[in-house]
Amino acid sequence: MRYVQEFRDAELARAVSSEIAALAEPGRHYKLMEICGGHTHTIYRHGIKDLLPEDVELVHGPGCPVCVLPMGRVDEGIAIAERSEVVFTCFGDMMRVPGSKGNLLEVKARGADIRMVYSPLDALRIARENPDREVVFYAIGFETTAPSTALTLQRARKEGIDNFSVFCNHVTIVPPVRALLDSPDLRLDAFIGPGHVSTVIGCRPYEFMPADYGKPCVVAGFEPLDLLQSIMMLMRQLKEGRCEVENQYGRAVLWEGNTKALESLAEVFELRPYFEWRGLGFIAQSALKLSPDYAGFDAELRFASPKVRVADPKACQCGEVLKGVLKPPECRVFGTACTPERPLGALMVSSEGACAAYYNFGRKSYEKVEIGSKTGSGE
Amino acid sequence: MYQNTCSIDHTCVTCSDAGTPVRVLSVEGDDALCEDTLGNRARVAVELVSPVREGETLLEHGGVAIGRIGEADPKLSADNRMPIAPTEGGYE
Repeated sequence: MRYVQEFRDAELARAVSSEIAALAEPGRHYKLMEICGGHTHTIYRHGIKDLLPEDVELVHGPGCPVCVLPMGRVDEGIAIAERSEVVFTCFGDMMRVPGSKGNLLEVKARGADIRMVYSPLDALRIARENPDREVVFYAIGFETTAPSTALTLQRARKEGIDNFSVFCNHVTIVPPVRALLDSPDLRLDAFIGPGHVSTVIGCRPYEFMPADYGKPCVVAGFEPLDLLQSIMMLMRQLKEGRCEVENQYGRAVLWEGNTKALESLAEVFELRPYFEWRGLGFIAQSALKLSPDYAGFDAELRFASPKVRVADPKACQCGEVLKGVLKPPECRVFGTACTPERPLGALMVSSEGACAAYYNFGRKSYEKVEIGSKTGSGE
Repeated sequence: MYQNTCSIDHTCVTCSDAGTPVRVLSVEGDDALCEDTLGNRARVAVELVSPVREGETLLEHGGVAIGRIGEADPKLSADNRMPIAPTEGGYE
């Protein structure tokens, strides 16, 4: 299977694993953050952690768009979905994200017309086939997904489909990473950069990490060997005293990104002045809204959705986990009050969420955690 | 591709920043009929990577091609290639 099997080669994995071990200096502890939730999923699913020396620790970053969505935005989406004239469309993960009064799955069970789609283009097709209904797409995701929404809106405008709108929750990757780097309780040595976001935005946006914060970054692909190689590249930088942005995922990521996708984003979206991130608070210019040219497709304007802010449950420690201060099993409700079946915090909802990935694939490691560390005292 | 569609119980390919390598079988205006590595076929929007040719491998996300596979970044240094060269379709 081209582009897949050759990056799951066990012999190569062992070779890279050995080189990582050789690069680790005795007595030094390394903390590397994988920004992307997809990487978190790969790490647990393929047991990458077990191939690393004990002193090389992976910290899970904020790169799951579902997990960082504040509860108030979920409630706003639900308020739109409950309207009788609306066909509400969204990705699969969104169905279970808890709002303050339930989730979309429960609203659907009560009779709302909510449909799961794979692509915003599927939502546009539904609008085309149902001209007497208002079709709303719950747009969420980083720069990987935002071009799909942008292209869909460009097609909607070209075709004159006016019963289609978007509830926009797209976020951008660089501002939260900068916020993390500004956090005083964060101790990280280097970053694994998100591969598919970088297919769109390229590698240049990460240059502030070595330049302003002295942290190396390697943009990585999503197969097990991609991740192992990116860790090896980071370890080489740390060993050699280099600090730069490198591109491990050269077969898909160009340094300048995808210029056509960037042009599409620039036409359809503009930056919000600020946006709330679950666990991280308000971050300036960290999310997208529709540009004035596309305001007619903005569901927030079309349906005057209520602006609500809802605090997370007090027991939830998603914020500390997102910042890498706590590991998932160190949260006081992990695996007890909060499970994938009944998630309390957002990180347990999506399979890319650090807690859900840890719960589903990292139980062996979880069992090693001492009971005393579940008090949430961190490290 | 669509076989791995969003589901409540499994990985959401769209939210997970996933990208699927797909081969172009035919081009039809702004769309292309593509096939993933498991043989699943679907129409993919290709405006963002146009022009597209039959036989090319694209990176598909949420029904839209967001990049090409195989355009090696010239900034990838020789030192950081795999210790043993992968089979075809690797880093060059």
